[in-house]
Amino acid sequence: MKILFFTGKGGVGKSTMAAASAWQLSQKARVLIVSLDPAHNLGDIFGVVIKNGKKKFTKTLFLSEIDLKKLSREYLEQETSVLSNTYSYLKTLNLDTYFSILKYSPGIEEYALLTSIEKTIRDETDFDYIIFDTPPTGLTLRFLALPKVTITWIERLTQIRRQILEKRYTIHRLRGSLDSKETILDYKEADDDILKRLKKLGGNYHALDGALRSSDCHVVLVFNPDILSLKESKRLIEGISELELPLRLLIDNKVTEANEEMAEYVEGQMKGMAQGVPLERIQMAKTLLDGRKGTLYDVPEIIIPNSW
Amino acid sequence: MGLLEFFKRILSDFDASHRESVTALTEVEVKELENIFALLLLGSFIGLPAPPSFLAVELLPFMEREMKVLNRRAQDAGDMLAEMAGTIGID
Repeated sequence: MKILFFTGKGGVGKSTMAAASAWQLSQKARVLIVSLDPAHNLGDIFGVVIKNGKKKFTKTLFLSEIDLKKLSREYLEQETSVLSNTYSYLKTLNLDTYFSILKYSPGIEEYALLTSIEKTIRDETDFDYIIFDTPPTGLTLRFLALPKVTITWIERLTQIRRQILEKRYTIHRLRGSLDSKETILDYKEADDDILKRLKKLGGNYHALDGALRSSDCHVVLVFNPDILSLKESKRLIEGISELELPLRLLIDNKVTEANEEMAEYVEGQMKGMAQGVPLERIQMAKTLLDGRKGTLYDVPEIIIPNSW
Repeated sequence: MGLLEFFKRILSDFDASHRESVTALTEVEVKELENIFALLLLGSFIGLPAPPSFLAVELLPFMEREMKVLNRRAQDAGDMLAEMAGTIGID
């Protein structure tokens, strides 16, 4: 299974390019296209309404839109219910509702996004390609950085937790018969809830991090022949290489006769920054410009290299 | 109580008190570690750079003991000298 991320500045045509690639790939393989952008327009591009998150477009092409708000809400509801159970005595004072403030925690949205990517990669194994249409640069870089940051934290916390358990074990061994039942704290790794949770989270994130860095993962960068797009793409390339993610294709979208000279310049700059990465030029299609006739997802150029 | 019993009692009490004193310092160490663990995880409350907040949310349900320790350490922090004296055993 191959995983493709379409990234780029807002408005450069990420969704259109992702949709066109999905359409082209679906002629020979099973494809799932997932929109992570809160401003969904996957349904608009394919001219359908996506209900309950997923829709079968053709036999080999499935469309999916992820509702970030709903996801964050579900995640927090699940967590707060565990919390409320643990601190159930608060219910008598009606204080348990205060946990609901957790939904305003920063970072929860990125986490929900990441969880949904992880779940998609884990569950949708019968597709040959999964294409992710990502939100604009800032949020994308933040959530792609999350696995690495989180793994570091989980590793450090696990280390401290292990030390705590080791010391507890030492105490238990030394005191031996002196221990009364109430004072024995968990000292086995298999008994400690916190360590168990940390290990499970660590496992999930390592799997996701592995999937993102593997040779089956491709990051595609879409840009337009203009200076603003070039500048933001520079930042994105830096961010992607810092995160050690595999940038595999550059797409210069919306090239017309009028901006061809600019396109040459921007392409030259981009090639200089991302050396060895193939570049594809996509002409502004008349049907796309008008949009009233024909489809919005069919472009004449072959976008994804045949070798993928 | 026979003489043998008597000596056995003395020996076992001696053993117990030694075990207690040996573990006392390690216990302090464990408490400190638990305190550090809670501080790292919930540090955002006092302005420490915190891990991704969802990690704190994920582990919060199991953190009752650590939070108690954190709380007690914070309360005792005002009199560190007495705390240290207590730890090393100066009365």
